[in-house]
Formats: sequence, C-alpha cells, structure tokens
Amino acid sequence: MKKTLKRIFYLFLILCIPAGFLIEHEHAVFFWHKIPSIDVVFGFLGAMLLIGGARLLAHLVHKEEDFYD
Amino acid sequence: MIRTVPPGMLFILGAVLIPLLKGRTKQIYLLVIPVLAFLDILQLEAGTSWVYHFLGYELIFCQVDRLSLVVGYIFVIIGFLALLYSLHIEEDGQHVAAFLYVGSSLGVVFAGDYFSLFAFWEVMAVSSVFLVWYQKEKRSLDAGFRYLIMHIIGGCSLLAGIIIYVVNTGSIAVTHLGTSPADIFILIGFGLNTAFIPIHTWLPDAYPEGTVTGSVFMSVYTTKTGVYVLARCFAGMPLVAYMGGIMTVYGVLFALLQNDARRLLSYHIVSQVGYMVAGVGVGTELGVNGGIAHVFNHILYKALLFMCMGSVLYMTGKRKLTDMGGLAKYMPVTAAACVVASLSIAGAPGFNGYVSKGMVIASAAQQHMPILELMMVLAAVGTFLSFVKLSYFAFFAPNEEIRAKESPLNMQLAMLMTAFLCVLIGVYPEVLFRVLPFQPIHYHPYTPGHVLGTVQLFLLAGLAFMVAKDMLAPHRGTVLDFDYFYRMGGRGIVWVCVVPLSNMRFRLQTSSSRTIDVITRIAKNPIMLLEIPIAYAYFRITQGLRYIGGYSSSEMYNENLYRRPIGVGVLVAIIILFALALIYFIL
Repeated sequence: MKKTLKRIFYLFLILCIPAGFLIEHEHAVFFWHKIPSIDVVFGFLGAMLLIGGARLLAHLVHKEEDFYD
Repeated sequence: MIRTVPPGMLFILGAVLIPLLKGRTKQIYLLVIPVLAFLDILQLEAGTSWVYHFLGYELIFCQVDRLSLVVGYIFVIIGFLALLYSLHIEEDGQHVAAFLYVGSSLGVVFAGDYFSLFAFWEVMAVSSVFLVWYQKEKRSLDAGFRYLIMHIIGGCSLLAGIIIYVVNTGSIAVTHLGTSPADIFILIGFGLNTAFIPIHTWLPDAYPEGTVTGSVFMSVYTTKTGVYVLARCFAGMPLVAYMGGIMTVYGVLFALLQNDARRLLSYHIVSQVGYMVAGVGVGTELGVNGGIAHVFNHILYKALLFMCMGSVLYMTGKRKLTDMGGLAKYMPVTAAACVVASLSIAGAPGFNGYVSKGMVIASAAQQHMPILELMMVLAAVGTFLSFVKLSYFAFFAPNEEIRAKESPLNMQLAMLMTAFLCVLIGVYPEVLFRVLPFQPIHYHPYTPGHVLGTVQLFLLAGLAFMVAKDMLAPHRGTVLDFDYFYRMGGRGIVWVCVVPLSNMRFRLQTSSSRTIDVITRIAKNPIMLLEIPIAYAYFRITQGLRYIGGYSSSEMYNENLYRRPIGVGVLVAIIILFALALIYFIL
C-alpha cells in the first residue's frame, strides 16, 4: 500500500513537469509567469529554502523547554 | 413585522441566561442563539439602524453593508459550530465568556462609529482571556495576563488614535483612514489584534494555552475582526500589503520549528492572516474580495484544525507532536477532518483555501507587486510542508505506545460539518462569491494553468518533505520569538522595581519615619526646640562617658522627664504676643 502510494506520487511528479509545457499561464504579468513549469522550481527551491531557513533559525532561537521558568 | 436587532446583542444579552439553565435545555439554548442571530442577519437591510445620541455624537450599533454582512455570516456560522463542539462543557463561565466574545466581535463588525467599536473591542479582549484562564493551569494564567497586557496596550493606542481623530475631524463615523498621526495610532491598535509583526507574540503565546474549546473560538474572532476593520479603514495601503507579505513568511518559518501542535496552528494563523492583510493592503476589488474570502475560508479550516488538535488533547492529554503519532487508527473521524483542514489551509484544489489564496496572490500580481507575490508563493509552499508534518507526526507516524478513543459525538459532528463546508466552498466557490463585498467577480479559480501550478508546487514540496523529513521532525524545546524581548524587558522592569526602587522606598520610608518621630516629639514639647543644642551636647557627652564607663546606652524615652511646668508655656506665649504687639505698633 505504502509502496503503491509512493509510485503514484512519483508518476504524478514526473508527469506534471511536461504537462507544464502544454499549458500556458492565463494572466502572465511577470516574466516568470511565462516560463513553463516554473512552479516546479518554486516548489522545490522554496521548500529547501524554508527548511534551510528553519534549521538556521533553530540554531538561534531553539532553547530548552523550561527556558522561561 | 419583527424588528431586526444588532446580532451581537443576541449573544451579549443571551449570555445572561446561561447560568440559569441546566442540562439539555441549556444545550438547546446554546445552539438556538446562533441560529436566531443568523436569521437576524439574513433580515438585515443595508443602511444604519439602532442609532443613539450620546454627548452630541451618534452611536451606530448596526451599520449594514456587504462587507459587514459577509463577516457577520461566517462569525455566526462558526459560532454555531464551535458551540456545538463545546456542548459537553458543563462550566457556565466558559459558555458565558464565549457568548460575550462572539457578541462583542459581532458588535465590532456592525459598529458604525469609533466609540461603540472601541467599547466592543475591549469587551472582546476581556471576555476572550477567560477562555485561556479556564484551562486553570499556571502557564495559562501567565499567558492570559501577557495576552491581556498586550491587548490593553493595543486598546490604549486605539483609544488615543480615536480621541485625536475625533478632536481633529469632529466625527466619530468609521470611515477610510490615511496616514495622519491619529490614523497611525488606530492602525497600531488594529494591527495588534491582526498580529502585525512584531506585535504578534500574544497570539502564539496565549492560543495554545486556552481550553480545548476556548482555543477554537479564539482562533476565529480576534484576528478576523482586525482584518475586517483594516478592510474598512486601511484598504489599499502598501505598508499594510507588505506587512501581510512579511506575516505570511514569518508565520510559516516559525511554525516549522514548533512541537506543540496548537502553537504550530497559532503561527499559521499569523501566516494566513498575512494573506488577508496583503489582500486588503493591495486594495483593489479583487484584493479586498480575496482578503475577505480568505477570512471566510480561514475561519472554517482553522477552527477545524483547532477542533482536531483539541480533540486529540481532550482524548489523549497530549499536546506535543513528539508524544503523538499513530492516532489515525484510533481517531479516524478526527484524522479525516484534520486531513481535509490541512489540504484546505495548504490551498489544494478542491478545498476552500485554494479559492481565496489564489485570489489574493492574483491581486498582488495584478497590481505589479512581484515581491509580495513571491512571498505569498513561498508561504504557500511552507504551509503545505507544515501541514504534511502536522498530519504525519500526529496521525500517521508509527507510535506503538499510544492508545485513544474517538472524541464525543458533538465534537465529531462539529468537525464533520466544518469539514463539509471546507469542501463545499472548494468545489462550488460561487456560494462564497455571491456574498463577497464587490460584485461582479471576474476571477476563475479552476483554470488549467492555476490548478497545474498548484499541483506542481505541492508535488515538489512533497518531494522536499520526503528528502528532508528528519530535518523537519519535531524537537522538544522552546522557540524564542519577539516575546523574548518583551519578557526580558518585563523582567528588567520587575528587577528595577524590586531592587533599586524598593531600596529607595525603604530609605525614604526610614528617613520620613525619623522625621515624623522628631516632629512628634517637638509637637509634644515645643520648648524642647530651644533645648536641643544643649541636650544634644549633653547627650554626646553622657554617651561618651557611658561608653568609657561601659554602660548600656539603651534607655527608653520618657516624655515626663522633659516636660516643663505649664507656666513656662504661658511665659513663652506672652513673650510671643508681646513680640507681635511690638512689631504691630512699631511698624
């Protein structure tokens, strides 16, 4: 079950990239709206940026549980 | 024909009867009031009513337009669902606090003047704090006080702004404001309730410490009334728009670090309210419609998320993700509802968040605000990550030790009804579009490009989650926020009070006591004043001699020792009278 779900996930992942080349942004305003499948880049880079940012932030602001007590 | 009443009044006056009712009657009563309020709002007509003259000003308790109506609808709908969720609570105080909170929030929404708006605003702050205090733990009590202090400061700013505004303009009508000093004070007051960064800390501090049911109410009203008043008074202000953008990313980033499930949800309130604030700040018809649509949708899925996590807390006593896991097996309804709410808040197609979030992002692009658009896209990715984390670690991560039962029927029913509304609006957004402030609406959420873009965003964020799952795993600990500065500042003030100020008080008290003692002695025997130098010299000499002789110097004061015959007093009086007569006659 878990494996099947993973396979479906990867199948969608692979298919969604070429699908972006078939569909245009309806109301392109900025130049990145015209780049096909740009949300793939935003999705992955954005997630990595946030995870990295959160780890960095954790080093600065993560303290022991009874810090304020 | 029955006259409509301000909907908030039904709750505020309705709260009085709650302690008088018992059992099933009380439960029915709790549900009837929001139904009556909803019927009342349906009957309201555009315009102003319930106007009273006070000190030469007009107090308007019921100003109705499309903006107040749409917020009124959702406030009452979620009031009904949250009361259904809390039906099993037997403490009348919690219900009374909830009623006053809902009523005062509706009061703010339908207020047509700043005086009544301010009055309801303060009732909102005071009534909601009891939903935290009823948790009856020390940390809840502390968090409640911090919440109250912050809201009192915000209230003071709002009141200062209103007073300056009224003095300058002579009007108390709620209208669009600008950037004058009065307006900035009002903006700070509104901004505190809307969780502007860095005055947002009361929110992730107090909301996780509320009661299981109280936090559901709290997740709805305070911040959303803030967005509502921003939409009415500060729509189209770029500062507000960019503050919204900062809130979206800031909330998400801090949410990713949280271990307490309800604190994670609280940071997502900051983030999601950021979308609403951004939409309002953009200020176009699409922006304000998007912001208000997001208010409507967010209320549904956020209340649902708090219901789910409240349900877990109620049934297992666990509030931290590190203690949860594997609950889907034991609490399937809660797990299903949480997945629906997570997909809604993430903005997955088919769920309500997708519709309104898209409207706000599109409005930023339409107004050529690229940074704002990118901030909101980044926050959307983070929201997806965060809720994959929450759902996974709470319900699906392996945990063999946990055992639980599904929550009571009323809680399940409330969760299912709220989840249904999330899906209904996601699938059929016209039901929401029809009640939005600006008509007609030229926005189509389900275009192929938009749907595919969202799917791509989530699939790749999902891949990143799978790759970096361990890095996102929750850890025990405290995450410092701007509240660090407030708390340390507060401790600094306490230190100043306890050490230097207290020492100063002690010294002042001692010296003033001595002074009073001296004055008392002199008053008892004024002649002594003349004898002081002699007595002092005598005292020093005898002390010195006693010291040399090794005697104790502790001797009680005996006033009779120094008392003089009454004749001496008469003599002094005659001398003074003579001196006065002399001065009078000579001069």
